[in-house]
Amino acid sequence: MKLIQEGIKTLLDLRTYYDGFLAIAITSILIIGFVMVTSASLHLGDKMVSNPFHYPLRQFIHICLGLGVGAVILTINMEFWEKSGQWLFLLGLILLVMVLIPGVGVKVNGSIRWIQLIGFRVQISEIVKLFSVIYMAGYVARHQEVVKVSAYGIVKPLMLFSLACLLLLLEPDFGSAVVILTIAMGVMFLGGARLWQFLILAVFLVLLAALLCYFSEYRWARITSFIDPWADPLDKGFQLVQALIAFGQGEWFGVGLGSSIQKLFYLPEAHTDFLFSVIAEELGLIGVVLVIGLFTLFIWRAFVIGEKAEKAGYLFSAFIAYGLAIWFGFQAFVNIGVNMGMLPTKGLTLPLMSYGGASMIVMCAGVALLFRINMETEKITSSVPKGKKKWINA
Amino acid sequence: MISSYQKTERKTGSEQRRQFLCTVMFCGMLMLLGKAIFLQVLEKDFLKHQGDIRHIVDVNVSAYRGKIVDRNGEPLAISTPVKSVWVNPKQVSDVASQHITGLENLLKMPHGKFTKIIEKNADKHFVFLKRHVSPVVAAQVKALKITGVHLDREFKRFYPSGEITGHLLGFTNIDDAGQEGLELAFDDVLRGVQGKKRVMRDGKKNIIADIEEISSPVPGRDLQISIDSRLQYLAYRELKLAVKSHQASSGSLVMLDAKTGEVLAVVNQPSFNPNDRGDLQGYRYRNRAMTDVFEPGSTVKPFVIASALDGGYVSANDVVDTSPGFYRIGRNVVRDFRNYGVLGLTDILKKSSNVAVSKIANEMPAEEMWGFYNRLGMGQSAGVGFPGEASGTLIDYQYMDDFEQATLSFGYGVSMSVIQLARAYTALADDGLLHSVTLFKRDYDEDSQRVFTPKTASNIRAMLEHVVEKDGTAYKARVAGYSVAGKTGTVKKIINGRYSNEQYLSLFVGMIPAQDPRLVMAVLIDEPTVGGYYGGAVAGPVFSKVMSRSMRILGVDPSFQRDQKKPLVLAVQGYRP
Repeated sequence: MKLIQEGIKTLLDLRTYYDGFLAIAITSILIIGFVMVTSASLHLGDKMVSNPFHYPLRQFIHICLGLGVGAVILTINMEFWEKSGQWLFLLGLILLVMVLIPGVGVKVNGSIRWIQLIGFRVQISEIVKLFSVIYMAGYVARHQEVVKVSAYGIVKPLMLFSLACLLLLLEPDFGSAVVILTIAMGVMFLGGARLWQFLILAVFLVLLAALLCYFSEYRWARITSFIDPWADPLDKGFQLVQALIAFGQGEWFGVGLGSSIQKLFYLPEAHTDFLFSVIAEELGLIGVVLVIGLFTLFIWRAFVIGEKAEKAGYLFSAFIAYGLAIWFGFQAFVNIGVNMGMLPTKGLTLPLMSYGGASMIVMCAGVALLFRINMETEKITSSVPKGKKKWINA
Repeated sequence: MISSYQKTERKTGSEQRRQFLCTVMFCGMLMLLGKAIFLQVLEKDFLKHQGDIRHIVDVNVSAYRGKIVDRNGEPLAISTPVKSVWVNPKQVSDVASQHITGLENLLKMPHGKFTKIIEKNADKHFVFLKRHVSPVVAAQVKALKITGVHLDREFKRFYPSGEITGHLLGFTNIDDAGQEGLELAFDDVLRGVQGKKRVMRDGKKNIIADIEEISSPVPGRDLQISIDSRLQYLAYRELKLAVKSHQASSGSLVMLDAKTGEVLAVVNQPSFNPNDRGDLQGYRYRNRAMTDVFEPGSTVKPFVIASALDGGYVSANDVVDTSPGFYRIGRNVVRDFRNYGVLGLTDILKKSSNVAVSKIANEMPAEEMWGFYNRLGMGQSAGVGFPGEASGTLIDYQYMDDFEQATLSFGYGVSMSVIQLARAYTALADDGLLHSVTLFKRDYDEDSQRVFTPKTASNIRAMLEHVVEKDGTAYKARVAGYSVAGKTGTVKKIINGRYSNEQYLSLFVGMIPAQDPRLVMAVLIDEPTVGGYYGGAVAGPVFSKVMSRSMRILGVDPSFQRDQKKPLVLAVQGYRP
């Protein structure tokens, strides 16, 4: 009872201590994402389950759940995450092992990435991404001296991450493995790792990834088809060609909401991985600029919040904020890049926009952490909050 | 916890790194922006064009094939829209097994067939599962919503009168193109022109929007033919019965309008049902009346007498001595059935004396007699434009000796089809005017040719009326209430190059009413094996049965001159189609 009262009190505090730009970015991303998922999935729901609102309804539930989880996280002190970071990462590893156990994991399109949980299919790798951020932030905050001076300090957490990556590759989920390694490396870079050590490590990881691609037939095929999709537009380059066509058709102002042709079974996964192509076709360059701009705004605000926290001495919170910025930014970059043919096809969602339960909820949780960090930092740095006058009537 | 020294050192270092990372990420976003501008502004035309290639296709719109209707507008061949079910094997995946079973049941496929088709054609984009299914089945197939299974609109040809008009109309193939009969002969007229429209398709090849009509389908023209389906039905029924009861190998019948040369009925046995082509065999779908030739035998005798009358070689009251029943010409002998003694012209035809017509023929120059035959259309196609129409043969007069001229006079050494024979008789029926024959409705024949004088023609008809008298060869061909003029023929078939004494053609050609004929009809029964083989006994009754009903259908006044033994009472058992 007391807990709930305190929680509500914290939520009320948020009215005073919140980041306006971040709020605008997140709200816009969520709304645009939901509208576009609806537009991109009506025909699919009609075809698959004879209910056009099958996917929009579920996505709406995902968003509600995400906001609910976010609200709970807002009430939780950052200290809690700092303390439990290692355990959470361990939990993530256990989940990654569980998903590989036959009968527990659910296989879709050749990959085992999901666990059936009370009627929902949960993509484990999404949860692991968040846990990776929390663990890495905690590690860097605790062992800053070691990270800075010794190679061991860098390699040690990477051992754990390598284990996670190995488990992810067994699913296989190459994209998520790359994302968590990028988070780890990014946070470590900001944590002050020695440049030459860091660079050697980075080069080593890139080489490793390249080798993995080279020796896996389907990954190699994706890479070759991405280099010249028009060479084999009916087979290997099919998805990419369809996405590019969506961009071309959209040109300046788009074909109009709901009018995409490419979403009608030309684009595979129009409501998930290739949602951005539908945005490009229906809303045109204007929509593309808007969405990229919103993600840029998000990254900027995450860095600003991290910087404030760092200055206030909340190292753990600061690295969480940086980690989230790297995660969201990198994943958005990869997803949009894939849609535009700049990067080989990866099964990564567009943060907070693509259809999908686990990714939506986990990313809402990440956003909630940002708000919590901002709140804690603001509370301590100013008795009279700076933002109050400016935003109180907004 | 953290010393001030460390604090400042970290501050500057981390500040730089943060700014560096931030810059890298902003640059990444800028790159995305640049690529978006490249795609959506600079490359848009190329990409749009690529999109159009994939979205927009021209599809054919099938044209409605013209109807074939009879002279009264009764439909004989109509096209009904149907659906054809096809599958794109590349789109098929993970279909629920009950859906497959449902589809197989609907399309009457054996179990497992669908999967087999998909596996066998895995590299194709288009395989018909079943063509021409009914709208009900099509709706059920659609309701199954199986990905990759599609429906197309096509037309199915339907023949309401089935086997009755099978030979005449022929049929179309599954692609709506004429294959036989009138469907083939007038395919150009009936077919129409396929239209084309430009449509937009989704990724599963379903049409989502019509963009423009490139050319609208031009429906085929309707064809009104001269056939009267009531008479056709009658003729078919009686011919079929006769062929069956005499266990003949085949039969043909042609009925012409004596004044216009229109074909009112043309039927054959054996026949086939064009609506169900499971049992198509070559011998069944030949329109024998048009395509098969035979030697006409005694049925040409009236022409010889008429020619001789017109040529002045005999006169109406002349008599011919046929004793002793045979006639020696060189080393050959022409025989009669028995010795008929001295015969007048009427009796020559009534008894069908070979000796008498041979003697008369030999009075005429070969060239003149040949000229009459030639003008009657022997050795030339009847010209109805039917596919595979026969012309028959006529021996050249230059190489004709007396015996050959004699055999020609009783119908050997010349071959013709049933329609040619019927046509030749129009020259007797319409007072000496030979009509062209047509399968199309018309009021007047502009291509008629005079062959005999009116007087001769009516004389011959008067003589031929005696053929259906009690002591004539075709008493069974008489029609109560109407006078009939006709001639029988019983022709030996050539088997292995020799005239057979066991296999015959039974023929009867007649006109009704005899004084002013409305109809001409030729009946051929090939190889009757039961119930006699004489033309009068086998073919004659068919004439009688068909004509007695046809007269009433056409509302022809009964004639009162001669044959009134059973007057109008017969009208009671009239046939109502």
